[in-house]
Amino acid sequence: MGPVPRTLELFYDVLSPYSWLGFEILCRYQNIWNINLQLRPSFIGGIMKDSGNKAPALIPRKAQYMANDIKVLRQHVQVPIQFPKDFFSVILEKGSLSAMRFLTAVNLEHPEMLENVSRELWMRIWSRAAEKAGMSAEQAQGLLEKSSTSKVKNQLKETTDAACRYGAFGLPITVAHVDGQTHMVFGSDRMELLAYLLGPTLATSTPKNSVQSLSFFSSRREVDGPCPPSRECQTLRLPGGSKLLVFSVALGAVSLPPTPKDSRKRSTISHVATCTSMTHKCLSESPSSALPQNKSNAIRQNLSRSLSVLVLLVCSFLVSYPAHCRGS
Amino acid sequence: MGPVPRTLELFYDVLSPYSWLGFEILCRYQNIWNINLQLRPSFIGGIMKDSGNKAPALIPRKAQYMANDIKVLRQHVQVPIQFPKDFFSVILEKGSLSAMRFLTAVNLEHPEMLENVSRELWMRIWSRDEDITQPQSILAAAEKAGMSAEQAQGLLEKSSTSKVKNQLKETTDAACRYGAFGLPITVAHVDGQTHMVFGSDRMELLAYLLGEKWMGPVPPAVNARL
Repeated sequence: MGPVPRTLELFYDVLSPYSWLGFEILCRYQNIWNINLQLRPSFIGGIMKDSGNKAPALIPRKAQYMANDIKVLRQHVQVPIQFPKDFFSVILEKGSLSAMRFLTAVNLEHPEMLENVSRELWMRIWSRAAEKAGMSAEQAQGLLEKSSTSKVKNQLKETTDAACRYGAFGLPITVAHVDGQTHMVFGSDRMELLAYLLGPTLATSTPKNSVQSLSFFSSRREVDGPCPPSRECQTLRLPGGSKLLVFSVALGAVSLPPTPKDSRKRSTISHVATCTSMTHKCLSESPSSALPQNKSNAIRQNLSRSLSVLVLLVCSFLVSYPAHCRGS
Repeated sequence: MGPVPRTLELFYDVLSPYSWLGFEILCRYQNIWNINLQLRPSFIGGIMKDSGNKAPALIPRKAQYMANDIKVLRQHVQVPIQFPKDFFSVILEKGSLSAMRFLTAVNLEHPEMLENVSRELWMRIWSRDEDITQPQSILAAAEKAGMSAEQAQGLLEKSSTSKVKNQLKETTDAACRYGAFGLPITVAHVDGQTHMVFGSDRMELLAYLLGEKWMGPVPPAVNARL
């Protein structure tokens, strides 16, 4: 056929806003580049501890910078990302151990759901947009129980250790396996460099105004920025004319303080799985989603039921499990 | 004529490898984008102190990452950048105060030479692994940039005056007021607003803020404007 897709491992934690941005960009490119995107739920607290690094937000100017940076990137990357009101409490106190164990369990049992569920957790923490499910209550409950087994705990630890062995001192990291070599890039702002590493396709002559002693090739893989043109509907766009995609809406979620603007949250504790027509349309067109046909049918069924509350469950345990702070 | 060029302030220190990369990228774009690039020699030691931050290289994995990152960026950005053999001694012990004072003096007296002299200092420390702390080293860089020996010597003497020391301090303070916790920072003044971006890997974002086209770190040269 064609050349073998290159494996990209994305190590991420939903506590990390830049992980979300990197995730969305790579999800968009997974159907454009010849890659096999492997999501690796990891625990950023463990990475900080193991590397001797500290959360950037602990330096006041870095926290200030991040707050502004996220605002700009929201527009540029087109992800509805927003700083939580009580940023320090959410990020530095509550942490993400339970959530990442949950995602580890999802990855073990229903890997085809990992992308969606990860996105939902990010939406929960880092956005004030509507939450949704996509999973039946039974499924969610089962996974929640599995989250506290040694198997899942160890898996999360192993994935986190793998990230550390690749040299992580934070998240996100993307590890590209290209021509027998391994390249690790840190951050969501290195995607152009990643494209470059995945293989030069163009060679142009050295520009005249570059430093004199150079004689390198200039080679660039085509990169259309963080929002490449694509028929892929799964990407998030900001509301206001473009494609904010909403799956089934299970708006329980009382465990986190409701945000004042989001009055919809209050109205539906119990369920209502509604699919926007766009959802149905996109799912049925879902071009390059890797889901095999029977699984995508099952998901559609789940979506159209009244669902309880993956989000409710997840939020409950986010609150009730003592969070492990990131070590320093 | 056309619209007024937007001012971009690049705060940098020759001790900082990413400053060199950001510098070269912006120098390439200054003749492509509608910008007025203002170089602001700053002192990274002062910024670290003021912000409570630390050099990334002090975290072993960050040092390791940087070493590899620089190798890749050398190719991608097409700058002959290379880690000095004794990185820790060069970066963490010797520092850059004299060099940045010299560049401050250049900026006060011969601003048209600032780009070239800055580049020559970077070539010394971050390409040929040569010293930049001794007077002879600084003079050599200045002369390579096209300055006469007398000019260079005069500026070297000015470097240790209060005027120049204070100017470096003021520029460094300005970077801090813009929120710097490291270098390089690029401050864009666009439509009455101020945007600060940190790092050399945010140039695409900068283009977005400027409403300009990003063509990668090595844009095709626009011959008519050179």
